[in-house]
Amino acid sequence: MSNTVTVTIDGREVKAHKGETILELATRLGIHIPTLCYHPRLPLAGACRVCVVEVERARALVASCVFPIEQEGMVIKTNTERVLAARRMAVELLLASGDHNCLLCESNGHCELQDLVYELKIERPRFPAESPGHSIDDSNPMIFRDLNKCILCGRCVRACNEVQVNQVIDFGYRGGRTKIVTAEDRSYAESTCVFCGECVQVCPVGALVENKARFAGRPWAIKKVPTTCTYCGTGCTIDLNIVDGTVVKITGNEDGVTNQGSLCVKGRFGYEFIHHPDRLATPLIKENGQFREATWDEALDLTAEKLGQIKADHGPDTIGGLSSARCTNEENYLMQKFMRAVIGTNNVDHCARL
Amino acid sequence: MKIFRSHILVCGGTGCHSSGSAEVIKAFAFEVEKRELKDEVQIVETGCNGFCALGPIVVVYPEGIIYMQVAPEDAAEIIEEHILKGRPVERLLYREPVTEEVIPYMNDIPFFGLQELRVLHNRGLIDAERIDEYIARDGYQGAAKALLEMTPEGIIEEVKKSGLRGRGGGGFPTGMKWQFASQSMGEVKYVLCNADEGDPGAFMDRSVLEADPHAVLEGMLIAAKAIGAHQGYIYCRAEYPLAVHRLNIAINQAREYGLLGDDIFGSGFSFDLEVYQGAGAFVCGEETALMASIEGRRGMPRPRPPFPAHQGLWRRPTVLNNVESYANIPQIIVQGGDWYASIGTETSKGTKVFALTGDVNNIGLVEVPMGTTIGTIIFDIGGGIPKGKRFKAAQLGGPSGGCIPVQHLNTPTDYEAITQIGAIMGSGGLIVMDEDTCMVDVARFFMDFCQDESCGKCVPCRVGTKKMLDILTDICEGRGKEGDIELLEEMAAVIKDSALCGLGQTAPNPVLSTIRYFRDEYEAHIRDKRCPASVCSALFTSPCQNTCPVEMDVPAYIALIRANRLDDAYKVLLKTNPFPSICGRVCDHQCQGKCRRGQLDEPIAIKHLKRYITDNASRPTVESIPVTRRERIAVVGGGPAGLTAARDLARRGYSVTVFEELPHLGGMLRYGIPEYRLPRAVLEREIDDIRALGVQFRTNTRVGKDIPFKDIRKEYAALYLAVGAHQSQRLRIDGEDLKGVYGGVEFLRQINLGNGAEVGKRVAVVGGGNSAIDAARSALRKGAQEVVLLYRRTRQDMPAQSDEVAAAEHEGVTIHFLVAPLEVIGVKGRVVGVRCQRMRLGAFDASGRRRPEPIEGSEFVLDVDMVIAAIGQVPDVSFLPKDIPVTKWNTIEVKGNGNGRTQTPAEGIFAGGDAVTGPATVIWAIAAGKEAADEIDAAIRQRNDEPPFQRPEEERIDIPQVIDEEVQEQPQARMLELEGSERVGSFAEVELGYTEEEALRESLRCLRCDMEL
Repeated sequence: MSNTVTVTIDGREVKAHKGETILELATRLGIHIPTLCYHPRLPLAGACRVCVVEVERARALVASCVFPIEQEGMVIKTNTERVLAARRMAVELLLASGDHNCLLCESNGHCELQDLVYELKIERPRFPAESPGHSIDDSNPMIFRDLNKCILCGRCVRACNEVQVNQVIDFGYRGGRTKIVTAEDRSYAESTCVFCGECVQVCPVGALVENKARFAGRPWAIKKVPTTCTYCGTGCTIDLNIVDGTVVKITGNEDGVTNQGSLCVKGRFGYEFIHHPDRLATPLIKENGQFREATWDEALDLTAEKLGQIKADHGPDTIGGLSSARCTNEENYLMQKFMRAVIGTNNVDHCARL
Repeated sequence: MKIFRSHILVCGGTGCHSSGSAEVIKAFAFEVEKRELKDEVQIVETGCNGFCALGPIVVVYPEGIIYMQVAPEDAAEIIEEHILKGRPVERLLYREPVTEEVIPYMNDIPFFGLQELRVLHNRGLIDAERIDEYIARDGYQGAAKALLEMTPEGIIEEVKKSGLRGRGGGGFPTGMKWQFASQSMGEVKYVLCNADEGDPGAFMDRSVLEADPHAVLEGMLIAAKAIGAHQGYIYCRAEYPLAVHRLNIAINQAREYGLLGDDIFGSGFSFDLEVYQGAGAFVCGEETALMASIEGRRGMPRPRPPFPAHQGLWRRPTVLNNVESYANIPQIIVQGGDWYASIGTETSKGTKVFALTGDVNNIGLVEVPMGTTIGTIIFDIGGGIPKGKRFKAAQLGGPSGGCIPVQHLNTPTDYEAITQIGAIMGSGGLIVMDEDTCMVDVARFFMDFCQDESCGKCVPCRVGTKKMLDILTDICEGRGKEGDIELLEEMAAVIKDSALCGLGQTAPNPVLSTIRYFRDEYEAHIRDKRCPASVCSALFTSPCQNTCPVEMDVPAYIALIRANRLDDAYKVLLKTNPFPSICGRVCDHQCQGKCRRGQLDEPIAIKHLKRYITDNASRPTVESIPVTRRERIAVVGGGPAGLTAARDLARRGYSVTVFEELPHLGGMLRYGIPEYRLPRAVLEREIDDIRALGVQFRTNTRVGKDIPFKDIRKEYAALYLAVGAHQSQRLRIDGEDLKGVYGGVEFLRQINLGNGAEVGKRVAVVGGGNSAIDAARSALRKGAQEVVLLYRRTRQDMPAQSDEVAAAEHEGVTIHFLVAPLEVIGVKGRVVGVRCQRMRLGAFDASGRRRPEPIEGSEFVLDVDMVIAAIGQVPDVSFLPKDIPVTKWNTIEVKGNGNGRTQTPAEGIFAGGDAVTGPATVIWAIAAGKEAADEIDAAIRQRNDEPPFQRPEEERIDIPQVIDEEVQEQPQARMLELEGSERVGSFAEVELGYTEEEALRESLRCLRCDMEL
């Protein structure tokens, strides 16, 4: 049985893998289909109906993100008037069902709803906007939750339940009153939330934002610097979000090999030490019971000199090396290499082993 | 087994239960015990009998006699009279609502007789809580056959042959569904039953589960064998406690008998079942949501594919069918697919169960062969519409379906035919709606339901339905605006096309179908801020005022009667109506049909109260109004439309001249309506008031003959053509030109001209409208010895007012229904008889009445010497010049809404009343006259660049705001009438008017819908 089928998409006859979704095929071919509830890391929902396309002989439009290509000769159209009308209506309706005032929104400039409104050329709202009137959840310093901006795409629910498997949130209530709730509809602080921030990471709008980063800088002022999280040896790739030389928040790097964007509460929210006034910024040398600031060269020279002296006076095994879990693998490697090859001892250990 | 002499079957369905059947059973048990009949009479509590409207239902076998609305205290009488003495208790028997005929035997009642019971073949016959009774009626024979003699392929083949399609609403072929699941790979498969019936007004599944739960179990067992499943679930809504209770009993009994569990019938096949109770979410009727719910997750649908046949419950191949589909299966297996497919239509086989509810006489559960028309279900089985109201539409398919209007009553119950007219078969909820239903409000109701039940997952359904509801609510509350209908249509199209599951995709259907058939009603709400059905209460003060074509302030003048301020009441009447004394006698009072008091006992006698005011108030003298405008206006025709227009224009300062061909003014009021209904003095008095304003009348002047049309056109700034419809329609049969054949209006005109019309001894009047009745009653008064009225339809189809019909019969007119004349027979040029043919009722016509069809060989001759043809009137438009076009019905053409409703295509020429609409009523003619005056005045002012007319400040009349806290049932005060003997040969007024005491009593009945608390 062949694993490929021939299908027609926007008039092009192409080979598709059996079982891949229309969206996957289109993306591979460079055909743009807008999406909203879809997220590459999350299980599929097919809920927002923004990615709908026309499939010949199907009764209605289908969500390209979930619709599998199985049939030989399938004819798909991604850009017809009918498709555009449905996409536009879906976005217009979302726009009318919450507080979507970009001027007042933290996510202005970093919002998938905003992008879609622009992409679909929606010039003015046709439906009166109505705020659902949910109270704001400012219960904790990590996650700021304004469900009036929520578009109920369900990404956070899938991220919480199926990626992090914390199972803190789900859909609650019905119809127009539907909202994302914790158990018994409590605040995050009163829930079983562990504040991994996965929900914030995947939220396409301004409903879930990093609380401490509010008003710290607009997306276009932010420079992202990828680095490795310093908390443990997992080696999650993080993006430092920097405004004028200050780290204002940390986001998971979706291209990170080990974490694919996911982080834990420390990696995502424990960054205040970076600019903490108590943090050592230069080496210190203690002279006469008093620390004084020194240069790196000066400090390293002093360390080398003292280590050399101890080794000469008492032998290499009087020296031990303990390295930190907050170092990278490479740094740890260098550390033990240095101890063994330069100092000449096997007294090497690591804090994570304790 | 014990043999009993009699069985008393008491319905224990939810409907009868709530009307008290449990007490009835106790009462019967007590009586049987007391009379020591325990060995002779058995009492059985059955499932739903179907005739829920008249429960509690009791059927006595072996006779098959059915009793309705049985109370516990009736038990003794039934035992004593029926069981012991063999005399059925007549007062508890069924009475046909129209003919009042008493029908003792269940199967003689059309409700039962026209049904074909397959799914419900055990209904009302067995005790649902005893498996033995099910087995005794061949229960589990199908399962035995399937398990012991058939292969899975064989079972699927039989089901495919039957043509059975999913009865839950989707209509997907059941056999195909089973085949897919059977071919799906996997050790573990599931059989599910969807018993989450949630459509408003639907109770088919509940009744089947309550009356015959084993049929569902057996159907599922057969399905399990067909696909290779060993576990099943029945997803039943928790709001059906009796169904859940009986299902659990049935499952336990089946397990005890080895019909569920391991090695059933020793076949080696195992299958077991449990009931899973749904928590009441409508969306859980959607298959993927239902499965999510059984899995313990929130009931939200997921996109398909994969389909449940491949990946269903816990991602295993699953078959999900509805209760009714499963209940069909055992008989298909026992009797064969061909047997099942022997009834129905090309694509829809077998029978369908409908829950018939709403504005219909026989509310209940009916099962009919596919292909039975909607009209048959509503009118023959359902017994038609209560209180003589008109049918408006039926909602089929619940909130996912559409409405079926009167012009589609002949639509067969067939999946494709129903889809074609914009509804869906759905699960079978059939809600009948009468004329008092607002279709915008209906659309709003169903949209409210859908948006409330939306699971919230996809945007089109969650937000789209809410926004559509907002628009519909705005329309119902008077905030509708141009473009709303188009926006609703656009949203509906997109939501249908892009919502995730069936709930969203079908949610716009009620809106689309009501717009399709009742767009004018939407427009009335949006443009005129009117709710024609008097439902959307934000748009009117009281239903009576809203219904009146001239919006008479009914609650106000009734309140003034109560306060004994008749002079003020009279002023209130005159504000909107120049002819209140006339309308108090001859108006067709549509207001009374909408009176809310009618829902309690009887409507207020609005017409009689109006007459009471005009009979008793002192009449203010009318002063002439000075002519302040230079434009002169001509009105052609001195009937109610012309006179009203003349009055209103004169009051605005125009000089108005009315041209009337006949010697006297009044039009149909004088020459059509007989004097015994409208005394001439009353008519003259109100015409005199218009004369007193300064309007000039030129009688005996036919425009186009006595005075050329072009002369009038030149002399007057505007012309209003209100010439009425004074020519009788011809019968178009042989002998119509014989001496002694008259047209109805011509006959009445001769009498009213006082020309001493010659009346025969035996008169046949043809027709069923008010003119026919007037002609018949007048003929009697003019000395006819016998008057026969021939009408080709039935009594309830007569356009004449029912009280007029009753009066005619009281006076001695004989009415032959379902009879049509074929030929007038003459000898020497004179009528000697009329050859007639009997008719029977055929399919429904566009008016919702059954079309009469001739019965071959039923001809007969009536000996008469006079025939009056009163089957309708048309205007005489022969005087019109060529540039004023007429329609194909010979009425004068006016432009559509945009340019006013009275302007003809010819500049400065307006038309209205019967001449435009065809024969209508006095009050509509008055309304037309008022409208014409407005539009003529507006046109003149526009031409002159003048500002629009400002209505002068009206005298403020303080209306008492008094209502009664307690309302007690009390019928209408009857009006005294002339004795029958005094009416013969006399044209004296028949109705004698209310006394002060009667009027006061009647006025106290008003519920004052106009008041806001």
